[in-house]
Amino acid sequence: MSGNGDGCWHCGEALPRDPPLAHVAGEAHPVCCPGCRAAAEWIAALGLADYYRLREHAAARPPDVDETARAAQAFSRPELARHLVHDRPDGSAETLVVVEGLRCAACSWLIEHGVGALPGVGQVAVNGSARRARITFDPARVALPAIVDAFARLGYRALPLDAAALDDARGREARTAMKRLAVAGFGAMQAMMYASALYFGALDDLDPVARELFRWLGFAVATPVVVYAGVPFFAGAWRLLRARRLGMDVPVALAIILIYAGSVVEVLRGTGEVYFESVSMFVFFLLIGRYLEMRARHRAGDLTDALARSVPQVALRLAADGSTTRVGAFELAPGDRVLVSAGMLVPADGVLESAACRVDESLLTGESTPVGKRTGDALCAGSSVVDAAAVVRVERTGADTVISSIVALAARAASERPRIAQAGERAAARFVARVLTLAALTALGWLVIDPSHAFTATVAVLVVSCPCAFALAAPAAVTRALSVLAARGVLVVRPDALEALAGATHVMFDKTGTLTEPWLEVDRVETGAGIARDEALALAAALARTSTHPVARAIATALPATTLAVLDATSEAGAGITGRVGERELRLGHAGFALRDPAARDATTYGDDAVVLADARGVVAVLHVRERIREGARAAVTSLRSAGLEVMLVSGDTTTKVAALAGALGIEAWRARVDPAGKLAWLDALRGEGARVVAVGDGINDAPILAGADVGVAMASGAAIAQTASDIVLARDDPRALASTHALAKRTLATLLVNQRWALVYNLTAVPLAALGFVPPWLAALGMSASSLVVVLNALRLGREPPIAPPVVPVPAQATP
Amino acid sequence: MSILVFLIGLSIVVLIGAGVVLFWAVDHGQFDDMETPGLLPLADADAVVPPDQARAATPAHAAPDEAR
Repeated sequence: MSGNGDGCWHCGEALPRDPPLAHVAGEAHPVCCPGCRAAAEWIAALGLADYYRLREHAAARPPDVDETARAAQAFSRPELARHLVHDRPDGSAETLVVVEGLRCAACSWLIEHGVGALPGVGQVAVNGSARRARITFDPARVALPAIVDAFARLGYRALPLDAAALDDARGREARTAMKRLAVAGFGAMQAMMYASALYFGALDDLDPVARELFRWLGFAVATPVVVYAGVPFFAGAWRLLRARRLGMDVPVALAIILIYAGSVVEVLRGTGEVYFESVSMFVFFLLIGRYLEMRARHRAGDLTDALARSVPQVALRLAADGSTTRVGAFELAPGDRVLVSAGMLVPADGVLESAACRVDESLLTGESTPVGKRTGDALCAGSSVVDAAAVVRVERTGADTVISSIVALAARAASERPRIAQAGERAAARFVARVLTLAALTALGWLVIDPSHAFTATVAVLVVSCPCAFALAAPAAVTRALSVLAARGVLVVRPDALEALAGATHVMFDKTGTLTEPWLEVDRVETGAGIARDEALALAAALARTSTHPVARAIATALPATTLAVLDATSEAGAGITGRVGERELRLGHAGFALRDPAARDATTYGDDAVVLADARGVVAVLHVRERIREGARAAVTSLRSAGLEVMLVSGDTTTKVAALAGALGIEAWRARVDPAGKLAWLDALRGEGARVVAVGDGINDAPILAGADVGVAMASGAAIAQTASDIVLARDDPRALASTHALAKRTLATLLVNQRWALVYNLTAVPLAALGFVPPWLAALGMSASSLVVVLNALRLGREPPIAPPVVPVPAQATP
Repeated sequence: MSILVFLIGLSIVVLIGAGVVLFWAVDHGQFDDMETPGLLPLADADAVVPPDQARAATPAHAAPDEAR
């Protein structure tokens, strides 16, 4: 899937009227900007043009190479390099970066070869799912700035992480889990093989020596399974017991120990039955569930990376004499003055010292329209200055900044959330407790009647009731639901969120970016006398194309095909754009600016959201710009409501805008002008009344409620921190997916309960027979396998109903802010 | 009977061997990235040009160094 016909060859975005051409392998391809051209030609010059053939998604728009290179120079400062580069004993150095713009496997391939070709770079290991790359290099031949630069030229932004992050806890966890799973799998297969020899041998008189051999072989393969692969269950049980709680791990660990110990005793005594295959299969099945859960958790990314992506690592410190030095953001102290150039991120919280400018705080608030700031106003770290360079006096840095405190608030909300005990876990724990009681009673009974049978019968009870079907009942249903949802673009990070979702009573939506698109659109156009709508729109769009202001962008996209040429276009911050089309002098902006009449701005004639296009003679057109309601928002609200959920809207935006949206979607409960702490307070109040709340949002300001709600749902196009705080991420930004996820969650829970009832019925029939000594081992094993199979097949029925939202072409499941 | 003992013994040796190989592979990062290696046979990776040569080959208007 290479360049498509109508977009940029490199990044797939819309082409300007007269696109630059990138020369790749002797062919000229249209691209949208010089940045894309440079990246495409650089990739081709490295001999890596295959990338365009291999990729599944268009590339992200490349960062500005020169700006990145200038910023990267700061990484060579010893103070900063010490934090970011780790020296290895063999004299080489190692660094870990978060890669922004990494979208598919072809990107990993491109980076491994493109960066690896740099002289002095040793190994480049890209972890596509974590969006991280680990680079080993020779510090004598190449330095960190050159490496960051190599990423930038390929079209990716590389953000070096603190060297402490090199201690890759997740990588180790994944590797250990894989080994345990493999040991359990191998062991279970072998144990099953030896066990079937015993079962079928028992039917046609197996040679006693061979019988003895197979029993010892079973012991040999089951021992590593229990002693090595089973460790997570023993560790979990030990943690629970020390905390004086009884979770799933306690009965599971007990069952493993009892069945294994019982079989070992029988092997040593040379009598009775052994159940090594049961215990191995049991451990293997449970580990599969744990492994899938871990994979989902790791795919969600972590808070360190999210913060690194949101706040700049370097700052331009202003000295008293006006000279600037690039320093690490952590070196800043309150009282320092920093220069933030247009388009760059503010490195620390502070006060604006220079003239008025517009600031994009969308990362924090989710509201995409830049906010005007005047001298003396407070600026937050992580917001970006849109139109002019700003001088900021630093007041708070690092962990004291607003963004860090919101992240901390999210972390605390997540840790304080009372986990609802999982129904599957509760039932399984109860069941195992009953089985253990029954086993104890069996042992007692047989001790009274015939002590020689006591041990054998007790172990038989444990095995026949082997909680395999029970252990499988929940994971089989949940795993099936997770894979169905993943195919529909819904990434479930925390599997127990499905159960919480099924039991939810309220849904709390954020406004901007969640129910509305994060950008604006032209709603209505009122034209002056004798002017056609299209003509006015064409003029406005031509002017608007010269600016990056969100309102201008909305107007430009309203009529992208316009071919009018604009001369002498200049834009005035916070006011509008002037330019000439032919001989006509045009002004586009708020009423006061466009009509050169300051009084007109305050006049309510045009309304808040009006953009006026005027020429020397007066008003040409008035354009009304509004937020666009997301496609499917209405359907989502309706279907959630018909599913019995109460839908609410909460936003930091103005009362009029929130009320309008609530009215349009038919939401009765809404609150406007609420800050993150206020949202959390409302959430807690609802929870206090017994509500189970699903929170849906996309901005960092939503992170606390996403983390604190029973289920947090984030949009994939939103802030990374919001996604990290959530349990479910909607990859296609379609709110309807939430409704179908809710429906599937309910069905999953129903399937889970059916499965458990089935397992219970099976056990109720089989256990008494086993307790009385009527069930031969081969029959017990057959029954056990059949009951597990029924459970799995029942789970596979999930997801055969069509989803509520229509299936769409997959989009990259990550955001590139 | 003796052939059975021999074959079972062999299977256990093979099993242990497979386990050792798998542990080695996991420890050496063979399972860390399950997606990119699938592309390797499709790509002509031998053609990678070192950056200093690539710089000379890049068309003049796009040479990244020029801008500085």
